[in-house]
Amino acid sequence: MGKTNGFLEFQRADIKYREIDKRLNDYDEVTIDKSIEELVEQGGRCMECGTPFCHNLGCPVGNLIPEWNDSIWRGQWKEAFERLEITNNFPEFTGRICPAPCETSCTLSINDSPVTIKQNERAIIEKAFNEGWVIPRPPREELNKSVAVIGSGPAGMAASQQLRRQGYKVTLFEKDRKIGGLLRYGIPDFKLEKSVIDRRLEQLQTEGVLFETGVTVGEDISIRYLRDKFDAVLFTMGAGVPRDLPVPGRDLNGVYFALEFLGQSNRRISKEMYEEAEINAKGKRVLVIGGGDTGSDCVGTARRQGASKVYQYEIMPKPMEWDKPWNPVWPEWPQILRTTSSHKEGCERDWNIETVSLEGKNGRLNRGNFRRIQWVPGEKGGRPVMKVVKGSEFSQDVDIVLLAMGFVHVEHGRAVTDPDLELDGRGNIMADNYHTSVEGLFTAGDANTGASLVVRAINHGRQAAESVHHWLKRQ
Amino acid sequence: MIKERGLYNPDFEHDACGVGFIVRINGEQTHDIIEKGVEILCNLEHRGAVGGDQKTGDGAGMLFQIPHKFFNKVTDFKLPKEGSYGTGMLFLPIDGKLRKQASDLTEKICRDEGWDFLGWRDVPVDVECLGDLARRVMPYIRQFFVSKKGLKGSELERSLFVLRKCLENGGTAKGFELEEYYLASLSSRTIVYKGMFVAPQFLTFYPDLLDADVVSSMALVHQRYSTNTFPSWPLAQPFRYIAHNGEINTLRRNLNTMHARETSLSSELFADDLKKLFPIAESKGSDSAVFDNVFELLTQSGRSMEHATMMMIPEAFGNKYHMSEDKRAFYEYHAAIMEPWDGPAAIAFTDGTRIGATLDRNGLRPGRYTVTKNGLVIMASETGVIEVDSKNILEKGRLAPGKIFVVDTAIKRIVRDNEVKSHICRQSPYRRWLSEEKIELAGLLQAPRDAEYNPETLRLKMRAFGYSYEDIRKIIVPMATNGQEPIGSMGNDSPLAVLSEKPVLLYDYFRQHFAQVTNPPIDPYREHLVMSLMSFIGKERNLLNETPAHCRQLKLAHPVLTNDDIKYLREVEHEGFKVDTVNLAFSSEGNTGIMEKFLKEVCLSVEKCIDEGASLVILSDRGVDKEHLAIPALLAVSGVHHHLIRAGKRHLTGLLLESGEVREVQHFATLVGYGCSGINPYLVFESLAEIRDRGYLPEDLTLQHAMEHYITAVKKGLLKVMSKMGISTIRSYRGAQIFEAVGLSDSLVDEYFTGTASLIGGITISALEEDVRKRHFQAWAPDDVYSVRFPSGGSYSSRIHSDRHLFSAEAIVAMHKAVRNADFKKFQEYSGIINDKSRGLNTLRGLFKFKKGQPVALDEVEPVEDIVKRFTTGAMSYGSISREVHETVALAMNALGGRSNSGEGGEDEARYTPDTDGSDRKSHTKQIASGRFGVNAAYLANCDELQIKMAQGAKPGEGGQLPGHKVNQEIADVRFTTPGVMLISPPPHHDIYSIEDLSQLIFDLKNANPDARVSVKLVSEAGVGTIAAGVAKGKADMVLISGGDGGTGASPLSSIKYAGTWWELGLAETQQVLVMNKLRSRIRIQTDGQLKTGRDVAIAALLGAEEYGFGSATLVSLGCVMMRACHTNACPVGVATQNPELRKRFPGKPEHLMNFMRFIARELRGIMAELGFRSLDEMIGRVDMLEVDDAVNHYKAMGLDFSKILMPPQRVDGEPLRCTSHQDHDFTLSLDPELVKACKEAIDKGKRVTLERTIRNSNRTVGATLSYNVTKKYGSKGLPDDTITVNFKGSAGQSFGAFITRGITFKLTGESNDYFGKGLSGGRLILLPPLDSTFSGFRNIITGNVNLFGASGGEAFINGMAGERFCVRNSGATAVVEGVGDHGCEYMTGGTAVILGPTGVNFAAGMSGGLAYVYDENQLFDTRCNLEMVDIEPVVEDEDMQVLKTFIERHVEYTNSLVGIRILDSWEESLPRFVKVIPIEYRKALEMIRDRETQNTETTAITEEVFV
Repeated sequence: MGKTNGFLEFQRADIKYREIDKRLNDYDEVTIDKSIEELVEQGGRCMECGTPFCHNLGCPVGNLIPEWNDSIWRGQWKEAFERLEITNNFPEFTGRICPAPCETSCTLSINDSPVTIKQNERAIIEKAFNEGWVIPRPPREELNKSVAVIGSGPAGMAASQQLRRQGYKVTLFEKDRKIGGLLRYGIPDFKLEKSVIDRRLEQLQTEGVLFETGVTVGEDISIRYLRDKFDAVLFTMGAGVPRDLPVPGRDLNGVYFALEFLGQSNRRISKEMYEEAEINAKGKRVLVIGGGDTGSDCVGTARRQGASKVYQYEIMPKPMEWDKPWNPVWPEWPQILRTTSSHKEGCERDWNIETVSLEGKNGRLNRGNFRRIQWVPGEKGGRPVMKVVKGSEFSQDVDIVLLAMGFVHVEHGRAVTDPDLELDGRGNIMADNYHTSVEGLFTAGDANTGASLVVRAINHGRQAAESVHHWLKRQ
Repeated sequence: MIKERGLYNPDFEHDACGVGFIVRINGEQTHDIIEKGVEILCNLEHRGAVGGDQKTGDGAGMLFQIPHKFFNKVTDFKLPKEGSYGTGMLFLPIDGKLRKQASDLTEKICRDEGWDFLGWRDVPVDVECLGDLARRVMPYIRQFFVSKKGLKGSELERSLFVLRKCLENGGTAKGFELEEYYLASLSSRTIVYKGMFVAPQFLTFYPDLLDADVVSSMALVHQRYSTNTFPSWPLAQPFRYIAHNGEINTLRRNLNTMHARETSLSSELFADDLKKLFPIAESKGSDSAVFDNVFELLTQSGRSMEHATMMMIPEAFGNKYHMSEDKRAFYEYHAAIMEPWDGPAAIAFTDGTRIGATLDRNGLRPGRYTVTKNGLVIMASETGVIEVDSKNILEKGRLAPGKIFVVDTAIKRIVRDNEVKSHICRQSPYRRWLSEEKIELAGLLQAPRDAEYNPETLRLKMRAFGYSYEDIRKIIVPMATNGQEPIGSMGNDSPLAVLSEKPVLLYDYFRQHFAQVTNPPIDPYREHLVMSLMSFIGKERNLLNETPAHCRQLKLAHPVLTNDDIKYLREVEHEGFKVDTVNLAFSSEGNTGIMEKFLKEVCLSVEKCIDEGASLVILSDRGVDKEHLAIPALLAVSGVHHHLIRAGKRHLTGLLLESGEVREVQHFATLVGYGCSGINPYLVFESLAEIRDRGYLPEDLTLQHAMEHYITAVKKGLLKVMSKMGISTIRSYRGAQIFEAVGLSDSLVDEYFTGTASLIGGITISALEEDVRKRHFQAWAPDDVYSVRFPSGGSYSSRIHSDRHLFSAEAIVAMHKAVRNADFKKFQEYSGIINDKSRGLNTLRGLFKFKKGQPVALDEVEPVEDIVKRFTTGAMSYGSISREVHETVALAMNALGGRSNSGEGGEDEARYTPDTDGSDRKSHTKQIASGRFGVNAAYLANCDELQIKMAQGAKPGEGGQLPGHKVNQEIADVRFTTPGVMLISPPPHHDIYSIEDLSQLIFDLKNANPDARVSVKLVSEAGVGTIAAGVAKGKADMVLISGGDGGTGASPLSSIKYAGTWWELGLAETQQVLVMNKLRSRIRIQTDGQLKTGRDVAIAALLGAEEYGFGSATLVSLGCVMMRACHTNACPVGVATQNPELRKRFPGKPEHLMNFMRFIARELRGIMAELGFRSLDEMIGRVDMLEVDDAVNHYKAMGLDFSKILMPPQRVDGEPLRCTSHQDHDFTLSLDPELVKACKEAIDKGKRVTLERTIRNSNRTVGATLSYNVTKKYGSKGLPDDTITVNFKGSAGQSFGAFITRGITFKLTGESNDYFGKGLSGGRLILLPPLDSTFSGFRNIITGNVNLFGASGGEAFINGMAGERFCVRNSGATAVVEGVGDHGCEYMTGGTAVILGPTGVNFAAGMSGGLAYVYDENQLFDTRCNLEMVDIEPVVEDEDMQVLKTFIERHVEYTNSLVGIRILDSWEESLPRFVKVIPIEYRKALEMIRDRETQNTETTAITEEVFV
């Protein structure tokens, strides 16, 4: 159970990053990978709590964190890997890009600094890949049933792997050229190198998952066809519709959705061809609208492309600044100011800013007009209300605006409309225990819940697979 | 006797008592022996008890020789010659018609059996003196007289024995209950007069006894203290041969075995009559009655009484004991013939010519004797029961553990232990028989060599047997690494087995029973010399004779067999010794239901093996694979065991088990408890091999060592489980069924676990089979690529895919927010999470719901402020939790007007006075636990409640220890010990071995603080209600029924999980039994154990509790996050730690706890309003307002039957459902009130006072109240020495000088009973024999057992020898004595003992501090000393020599000790014979302190590191 009093003896070892001026020259991962050996002491800081909040409340996939932390401390690396593999199909993804709610809910986050759970996870899985412990796990018995999974993001991948391992014939459909969804086309390489996805796909493939890429379900093949051909269909195509900014000048050249920008960048880096017009921030003044993670990714990418200046505006107020290692609202996710590695690479951030309009010359953006706002408490404890600060209008010269204001819902293409899937109030596919309103059609991940974390998508994929399995067993 | 009703079951009744006899050695019969017998009885009255009517005694009686002359005088027919007829003492129905039937039946049977029926005599009785309850059930008492031509002597006795059995069986056949047709005695030699009285009523009731013609040379008397008030007339003692003060813990085992043995009995002496004796043991009698039955059989069939005694209650004969080879061989030989009747016992026995007594191996009952110069021997539980002129005393002694003492009136002398035993041990060549016949297999139980495993299937099999990751990491690996069971902390809040959604192993349905109050648990570590795992297994033969073949059995040193052992056994070739295997694996094809059929086949197969001569049968589930499932091992073992008992063949074979299912200590314990003799947990060994191969064991640990460690851990664990119940040997533990089942259906229990208590019904065998199938399927699941990976488990720490724990992560967070922000809505969210049934059922109360009441307005309901006054916090010691928490809890509870509980571990005296701002940091409940740490006069005087902790939910029946490195300066100060010295709490209170002892301690505490109420903490188990009744009769003001799932700071995991039951069961039983016994009105009930919400409290109230305790919840409200690592001292929130760094992190405030308590009350009020109760008083015991929630749909819970719990109790004479009055404490025999008056000047002004007083054994606890009055005024520093001096003369009762504080000196000229100087707190005690006595002090016992128990200061000088356990748990007193019994200075942590004479065995066991100087005249002391924790060295240091000499000089000064004078006279010569006993740790600690002093630093070190 870790080392008694280990947390008093050893300090938390925070994630280390490559030097900024070096890392801005490439798209390689910014973090310096710690080996599992370096993390032994960190494993020893874990107390293997009787009530592990990290596992029970923090981690959406329910990683058996105390168990593998203990194994790390004891040097039982393979055991650590085996315990990790039980709950999480893709620890190499979460170990890189998960915001780690496990750490904010770690018992040590009450009054100390949490265990380096995320780094431990990453080290375990990297060690496992290096040692060759990550091997295909084909099903024990083939079941004569098949499942189509639509959309190959983390939810689709996880579901496919789970279903395949249970014995189903699984075909994973992807409209893009390669499997991976947002992992591949949304998250920049400096956070997740794409080879990390590829080596996992190899495993899936060997286990027998069939990939059908470049196929847009609903357009290239019909849902009816899928339903004829497969015993069940699972929709995991994400919440692809980004929130737009309906202001004058929105249609100017130079205003893009974040994913248009990030997707192209990723394609360029992996030397994948693309048809869209080139978007390049080199020498440009870039404004990212939206203060979330996608926005931050845009900042880092723009910096690497050589932007002369990067701004990031957020409509919400600036969160509390908090520099203590513990969590003021343990075990919940704290709303505090987060400064990512990308922010540190050079970016001016500002809050409480509403975009009034965008202007340009010859259809090309060159300036944005903004005003400051104030949030006042809503009546009767309702949601806070936005109030414009009089005389706060200001302008900013910009060449590129990237809209990173989140996603609204799943794309309402024919894949959704043809089978007449019932949608929820926000436009996502409604489901009861992952079963949609149509018998035999299931959904999971962002397509079901709206945009969320990769780790939740993995969890959804796994649970949806269970749900499909139960349903198919009854058929 | 009241019939079984609700949760009351007469089987649970316990009794204990005072026992005694008087005999004239030369056999002369006089009436004055009868008179003296009555006198003994009267002077033992305080050892008995009275019932709900305050008048009905639990039973008293006398056995004496048949007064021929008297009978001849009072019968209207002529009796034959003396000794040639039998006299029967018969209890008949009061109802005339029934009586006539019974009388006619008697005459008829006598005649049918060929007797001359000489006639009847109606025994005159005076019913007026009786209590109501006794009168209601009083029998009509008649004597009858029979003779048979030519019969006399032992032939006549034997024949009368047969006749009595025929009469009893005839009565039963006619449908008479035991109460309606009972023969107290039928003999030509002795007669028994007995009944439900207290001693003084005895003589009045039976006027016969006043007649001068009633003469005898001996009288054996008994005063009973039963835990119930409905003891019956027949159960009063003595029985026909014995009077028993004790408790047979292994009764179920003994009964079952006796039953099976009947088929093999044969005796030339009885020939065909033998069948008439069946059943040998009347199971409806008490344990003592059954003992008497078997004792009678053994003696009537040719063995002597002494022989029978040695068979049934063998003394310990382990290697630590010096004894002749013949004697050891005798015991070993008989180990193959009969299992010990295990338990505390003082047994007096007689056949009318010889009379004697013996003690159990532990010496757990007192026995003192006096031999007078005029030829009388008086033996009794206490000394001083008959006044003997000191000049007339020849000898004073005590019964020592395992020793026998006999007076033979035929040869007119005393026969002592050595003589008795050396004679009996040589009457047959036992030693030769044993060496020629007993089987010990070469290679068996040798170091295990290897275990092979198949990597393909190992893990699949393990999963099929339900292994979890937790099992491996938290149980097996620690066992294999450390050689002992792992430790955990906090309570058990996982679901009951029957409510779990996961398949659980059958073992989980069983809860270990444990000793509380009526018999003491044993310390398996410090007193392991009395315990034994050795057994003989194989075919047993005719009990009634002895041949060499009787010991042709396999001798097993312990029951754990390695994979090699079982292989050897299978291959063994030995004449007359055959080993067979029966397979437990059955085909997985087919439907549920086949397992039961298959089990029947297994039973028949085993029977067939036996018929074909098998001496051992191995049940094996080796055949489990993808196609084969296994019967749960426990089901198979117990099923076969009971099948064989029913078939009368159980004793013909030994049952062994080879199973992959077994792994935890609980598994081994239940298997042995249900009849298995040896167990091979093959999968554990295979998995260890795999774990080792994978590199998961420490590198320096070889597989062989890992296996040995594992076996050691199991052995230790078994000893621990046995010791919890006070059972010493596995021979009697085997088959003793010391468990209750919770959640198994009656049909399952009756068929396969016959005789096991099961209160709420539950699942059937098919549900068990379902679980087997589920596990099997999960292992070989085709759709799970990871089925070789183990599920996490989740019993100890929570996992999302396992059963939930009540204190879930969410609940903890909600609680923190609620109490910190004073947010009641959030609190409701918290209780919603706890109470939410859809999240899984965890508790029995989860299955209840409230009936609809007549709601009242909320504002009419008793206010929150009043309700919270009934709330208390759990007993959590300062030491287990940090000072900050301890004081925060006290502050909060005192502000609310509730109570905090100090726990065991003392309290800083500074907290006794409120702070200047008025805040009160004192714990108003002070706990008195077995270790007595920090208990002194001031501690007792400063509270409103004194709580005797008999058991703790997390580890009932166990002690505990605080390792030295956790004992920092502050903790040492409040516990009166030395920093750095380990503190051991013994499993039993060494002043409570029985119910009458408890009543004595209650009396002590009442005296030590007359203003405080006294409460007794019990832990729920089947039968706790009857114990609570005993507690009520012992005059406790409150009884706490604690759930077995309560928390702890450190306890073995298996104890947290498997010992004790839930408070719902214990509380309901207690309420029912107390009300039925008319005891409820005078005692309050409190309950605790995982109480968390207002709903919990409401249910507790309806079930009968008027007060409620919160332990874990208290801590959680103050910031605890249920880390369950209290035992590591690494609590991250500063709650359960002494680490100053971590203590700084403690986030709790008194307001948090106050908010919690108020919220609970607020929630409760809501429920009260809804149910229509305006006050809690109206609500208590209203079980009619509860019902079972039909909406709960749970597959296993379906079969549960709560009718017994929800049954309203039978109310006699309008007995209320709650406490409405109070205990009537009787201080009439107390000397203290008068002493306090006489010492007024001393107390008020410090003026010196000297008094002279006489004293008797019935004057108990002298000095405690006097001390209280001094302490109240002067605190623990007391008065200057000798301010008050009292010179006593006579025989002092128990607890003489208890808790006396500094300034008080008691000088007693005479003798003393047990507990002399209990809790001595600074006073001085002097004890010496009368000046005119001619016997020498140092050869005689002058004071009883357990002297100076828990003394924290002061001095005692004793001119004479003391009994067992001298200075046990002494932490500061100095004592000089001239000899002690076994276990001297046990658990001592401080102070000094000077022993100028012999010591018994096991001296200094568990002694972690203090010093002892022993005059080792024979240079044998090192063989009697337990050297595990101490060094022995010569007395050479000047300081030591000086100290020693001063003590002896003062001893001589105070007591005129001849021994002292002799030693001082030859000081140069004597000094080298002294040895100094010093604990190793203590020496280090002292050096550390000395170093620190020489460094002359100002600061007090408080970090534990200083002393590591």
